Amino acid sequence: MRSPSLIAVAGPSGGGKTTWIVEQLKHSTHPTFYFSPGLGPITVDLARINYTCPTVQVIVGDPGKSWLTNLPLNALVYCELGVQIDLNSALFDPWPCRHLAVLPPCLTDSEWHSWADEIIPGNDLFLENAESLPNLWRSPLTGIVFDPPSLDMILAELTGGAYGELQRLKGIFEMPDGRAFYIDFVQGLKGIEYTELPLEPWLEGRPQRFSGIELAGWNLNQKLIADTLMEGCLSNEILTHYQQQYKNLNPLEEAIAG
Amino acid sequence: MINSYWAICSGIEGNLAAYEAVLASIKQQSDTISDLYILGDFLGLQGNNRAVIERIQSPKVGELTPQICLGWWEEQCLNLHGLRGSLDAPELVAKVGTDGAKLLWESIDWELVQWLRTLHFGFHELDCLLIHGSTVSYADELTLDTPAIQLCDRLIRADANNLFCGRSGLVFECWVEPKQLQSQITTLDGPQTLHEQGKSPRRIVGVGNVGRTKGQGNYVLYNPATDTVQFKTVCY
Amino acid sequence: MKLAVISCIHGNLEALNAVLSDIDQHKADQIYCLGDLVGYGPHPNAVVEMIRSLDIPTCQGCWDEDIVEGLNACECSYPSILAENRGRAAHEWTNAAIHPEVREYLSTLPLTIRESNLCFVHGSPNSQHEYLLPSMDGFAALERVLSTEADVLFCGHTHVPYVRDLNEGTISVRVTQGGDGKTDRQFTMPLKRIINAGSVGEPRHGRPNATYVLYDTETTQVTLREVPYDYQRTCAAIIEKGLPPIFAWRLAQGLEFAERADDPSHVCQR
Repeated sequence: MRSPSLIAVAGPSGGGKTTWIVEQLKHSTHPTFYFSPGLGPITVDLARINYTCPTVQVIVGDPGKSWLTNLPLNALVYCELGVQIDLNSALFDPWPCRHLAVLPPCLTDSEWHSWADEIIPGNDLFLENAESLPNLWRSPLTGIVFDPPSLDMILAELTGGAYGELQRLKGIFEMPDGRAFYIDFVQGLKGIEYTELPLEPWLEGRPQRFSGIELAGWNLNQKLIADTLMEGCLSNEILTHYQQQYKNLNPLEEAIAG
Repeated sequence: MINSYWAICSGIEGNLAAYEAVLASIKQQSDTISDLYILGDFLGLQGNNRAVIERIQSPKVGELTPQICLGWWEEQCLNLHGLRGSLDAPELVAKVGTDGAKLLWESIDWELVQWLRTLHFGFHELDCLLIHGSTVSYADELTLDTPAIQLCDRLIRADANNLFCGRSGLVFECWVEPKQLQSQITTLDGPQTLHEQGKSPRRIVGVGNVGRTKGQGNYVLYNPATDTVQFKTVCY
Repeated sequence: MKLAVISCIHGNLEALNAVLSDIDQHKADQIYCLGDLVGYGPHPNAVVEMIRSLDIPTCQGCWDEDIVEGLNACECSYPSILAENRGRAAHEWTNAAIHPEVREYLSTLPLTIRESNLCFVHGSPNSQHEYLLPSMDGFAALERVLSTEADVLFCGHTHVPYVRDLNEGTISVRVTQGGDGKTDRQFTMPLKRIINAGSVGEPRHGRPNATYVLYDTETTQVTLREVPYDYQRTCAAIIEKGLPPIFAWRLAQGLEFAERADDPSHVCQR
């Protein structure tokens, strides 16, 4: 008997779970659903999936299990399990669920190994046992457009430990040319990853689509981080000026597209 | 267009008759001249500043609209009207005395001074810089006697292969070729690679002066397609 | 004679003390200072008093001029809006902290100091705001030294020390119109040097240590000195005195606090 395919994906923070899921979502030809238990309705990950895979239906909040009975028979459901979720909790019983773990190649023995049906190699992370779980800080940045060199400086400072010890940074940031970028940093991995999101350039005033930042770390100076982010963004006047310049650069393209 | 020239002049110095002679000369070659540049010093103490400005501002039918940048005399005017750093215009007073400064002040009114403020400092077109003095200053007088290293520096600052200037009022053309230089840099990390630099020849052109000498004026024609300069003299 | 040349102290008293000790140990006969005594750092008045008490010939830096005139740094120095905001905050703090007699002293400083075949400036002979980066065009760099009529030009402002030897410079000038008719001449320039003294108080070479240079006028040998010191004390003072706290982190990393020279071909017009 055909039934919807449920795939639970687990692994350490920064290991590459969401990135792997996004790759699967992009290429899926079935009706596809994404669900991450415990995530609030507005988060960077959900927005990233919405923007990158607009045909995927994102399930938010705590939907229980009844929604699974209404799924099309050929549906694919990807369920991302954050580190705070107990692997043994029976999330989808009695529906069968395949267990996948996205793990650092150097990790050979872990709770995920016993749980998973299949191991997928992820980011090459060395997992340290921290004394305490990191604190989380989230802030929406909707409507805020950054001065690109200022944002570069802020990211270098954040990831360099200027505002506390940072384990993880995820964010969606808007640029003056109307583009938005997903930015990802994981302590232990070199560099900061920038991915342009497949969105229409927003050149009419402040963007009304979601953007935001999420940080996980220790001793984070939240107020200073928030103040610094504000200092790196564009005023109305400067934003209008940039947007006008970009619109002037591309009238021919707009005419062709129109 | 292969036969398309820019006409470039400087130093009208209030001499309307001289400017009319240049315009007549340009009109005779009107098929081939696409642009007219006036590199400052259209004001002076010798003639009628107001008349020259009116003539520049209102080209006749069929005439080119000149592109104008500020020169030494215009900067002195702006100084006198408190629109630059030195209200007492020491350079001007040193050159023409306080009587001369007063004459300049009286020669154009506030409305025309406001128009002066709208003018450019110079023009960067294709690989050419057209300016009164240089990017260092409106008072930077480049001549054939200027040390080679300074000529070289002005071209580097101009970021151009051709620098057209008018401060000296002289007609000249010289090619400056930095042939070589050994540059060794040492930092905290130790000695860095030895560099040897040379650059292709670049040109400085003195476009002469339209109005200073009674009865005769000079300007140049530049063809951007062939990178050639012609020197023109008009008599009137 | 052995000279020590220091620059860009920026109110960092700890660093200055460490450098003066190092200079003492190296038995320099004379110290010169290339300006920027104040700005960014927590002890501008104490730094100036130290320089004055030792009678160190000093030229006026861009920050010294800004504090005297009540200006802010040229926009072209700031690589971002955030840096500009931080620079402005540092100007406002320094302006409020400076004692009147210190401001008066800064206003008396000369733009250039000449000593036999040596010339001392903050930025360049043209301007306190012009950066002479090691990557700037060699002929342009040569012009800067030649314009002083000195053999060695000491400068600061970039906060990263270097020595640049410019040798066998040759330029040909071919006249094709005007003058005495068509001529073709070649000019060769003698060896000239630019020596950048780095920064005592706001280093930008990736480490928090102070930098300065030693120069022997007889042997013409140059030594680039890097001097470790207790920079954490400066960091603590930055935070305690109410300067932007990010400056403390940037000092520890040896990064610019706000201004940065990015473009070797840019000539500040201020």
